[in-house]
Amino acid sequence: MEQLLVPMICRIDKVIQETPDIRTYRLKIKDEGLMEKFSWMPGQFVEFSLLGAGECTFCIASSSTRKGYFDCSIKRAGVVTADIHTQLEEGDDVGIRGPYGNWFPLEDLKGKNLLFVGGGIGLAPLRSLIQYCIDNRNDYKDFTILYGARTSADLCYKDEIKEWQDNKTLKVILTIDKPEDTWTTNVGVVPKILEEVVKPAIENTKVITCGPPIMIKYTILSLKKLGFADRDIITTLEMKMQCGLGKCGRCNIGSTYVCKDGPVFTNEQLKMLPDEF
Amino acid sequence: MSAEIYVTDPAGLQKFYEAVMASHETYAPVEKFGNFDYRQVKNLSECNPDPPIAKTWSIKPLFFPRTAKVMKIVATSAATDVSETDEDPLAAPRVLIGVRHCDARALQVLDKVYSWDYIDTDYQKRRENTVIISARCDKADIHCFCTSLDYDVENLDAIDVLIVNGPDGKVFITARTEKGSSLLNSDVTRHASRVTTEEAAPQLKKQYDSFAASFRLKMDYREINGKLSKIFDTPAFETVSASCVSCNTCAFVCPTCHCFKISDEKVKDTGVRYKSYDSCNNGYFTLMAGGHNPRPAKYRRWRQRALHKFVYYKERFGENLCVGCGKCTISCPVTISIFEVVNHVASMPLTE
Repeated sequence: MEQLLVPMICRIDKVIQETPDIRTYRLKIKDEGLMEKFSWMPGQFVEFSLLGAGECTFCIASSSTRKGYFDCSIKRAGVVTADIHTQLEEGDDVGIRGPYGNWFPLEDLKGKNLLFVGGGIGLAPLRSLIQYCIDNRNDYKDFTILYGARTSADLCYKDEIKEWQDNKTLKVILTIDKPEDTWTTNVGVVPKILEEVVKPAIENTKVITCGPPIMIKYTILSLKKLGFADRDIITTLEMKMQCGLGKCGRCNIGSTYVCKDGPVFTNEQLKMLPDEF
Repeated sequence: MSAEIYVTDPAGLQKFYEAVMASHETYAPVEKFGNFDYRQVKNLSECNPDPPIAKTWSIKPLFFPRTAKVMKIVATSAATDVSETDEDPLAAPRVLIGVRHCDARALQVLDKVYSWDYIDTDYQKRRENTVIISARCDKADIHCFCTSLDYDVENLDAIDVLIVNGPDGKVFITARTEKGSSLLNSDVTRHASRVTTEEAAPQLKKQYDSFAASFRLKMDYREINGKLSKIFDTPAFETVSASCVSCNTCAFVCPTCHCFKISDEKVKDTGVRYKSYDSCNNGYFTLMAGGHNPRPAKYRRWRQRALHKFVYYKERFGENLCVGCGKCTISCPVTISIFEVVNHVASMPLTE
């Protein structure tokens, strides 16, 4: 076990200040041979260490179809993430273990309309899948992204969202919680815009959602109201994890190990779990 | 394999232990401040191979260390590097003496979690390199309930050599596995004589029956397991956990609790990553950055503890995660008894 807890050393290639409290770290494994072989599926996560301070769990926010690097988008939320934001800059070294966990059910998504519903930093795990699906665009039908944040400044990946908006095969809907002078499009929380503006067709559609727990909760309620089946609603769970190896016991929900059986679950699977996440 | 059984007397047993110690790296219960912990010993005088059950720590730390150094971290201005520590998880094959059956059972339970998916090779190496000589209890402690659970106390694969104090001052030494058999060479069994299974069986049974009759605590495992699996939402968990001080002692002394934490410590340019015991009774165990905590209240953590032991692990790995040793109850500063907790909760009416 001990050697499984020793990370690979990665070099920070680039730091992107996405919002006042979110930074994306673009990472490259220092051993080039390892970087070339490093592969992951959308939805998987890594254990990221600020060496000497501690480890945190982050999803990989980019797709392995884009080679030579991977992204972790980190919101300043606790002790280690605050240290990461203040201490880690381009050229610094970090430790990475992984990839761990399951991934979005790619086979089930093929041939379907895709609806992504994201809130705040919750777009990070979706972005890995969005990039993957854009890079395999012919495998999917209609492609809709609904993304919201508290304010326009809190929207993540602003440059990439522009690319998505310019891509004629994608439909992108943005929203913020409260009106702002320069904001010309939707205002309102994500579930409201989902019901009133997006009004998605249920037929042959899979919904992939991630955001703050409260947003996920109400988004699922809205989706149910719109008539979506539980098996067509896919989300990725935030749960405290440490080892990522199905051993340390932290991410247990009932007999489920979120780090092994998750973090991706359908709503059908979530309903089977004890209400403790 | 067919059992290889020797009979001797208490003096012969002492000579047996001495011969084992002379030829093997041996760990045995050693007294410190009134409690017994398994330590490396050279002479029988240093240890007690049949220690009072209520005052003996588990053998778990010999397989899953309380704290282990995982790696070293060296940072320079140009780069940061990590390397595995040079501590050998288990340098030499070893023999454990004076192991209680509940503790041996705990290894069989832990084998499951350490061998699924990512394999804990250090744990496995320690298991493979260890020969376990058990001392079957003559009498249950007031908090023991091993005979009420999902396993057969008499037949445990983790025990390589079984020591039983038979009636009339006879002591039986039985090799139960290949490892046990190869330990019992002519040198260590010099002061014992071979007996057949037929000769030994009635006397072993007599000892077991008298041991099994000595239990204060008894329960119907199937009934408890069945009811607990249907009773998630009951206020009874609040009642039973009310006095808990979240000190985590129960998890640290438990032979099957295996939750751990990973922590880094760095002073100037060098640091160490540790893996050390943790417990689901900790308020921060599931606390996430940003403040979300699925188990913020004590009753939720106790529910997790009780159901993980009596329902979830069983669902996942087919074994009960409590072996009925009573160590948590004996060590608890506010005398919470896991036996009473599960029995009380299971006695509540089902709401569905």
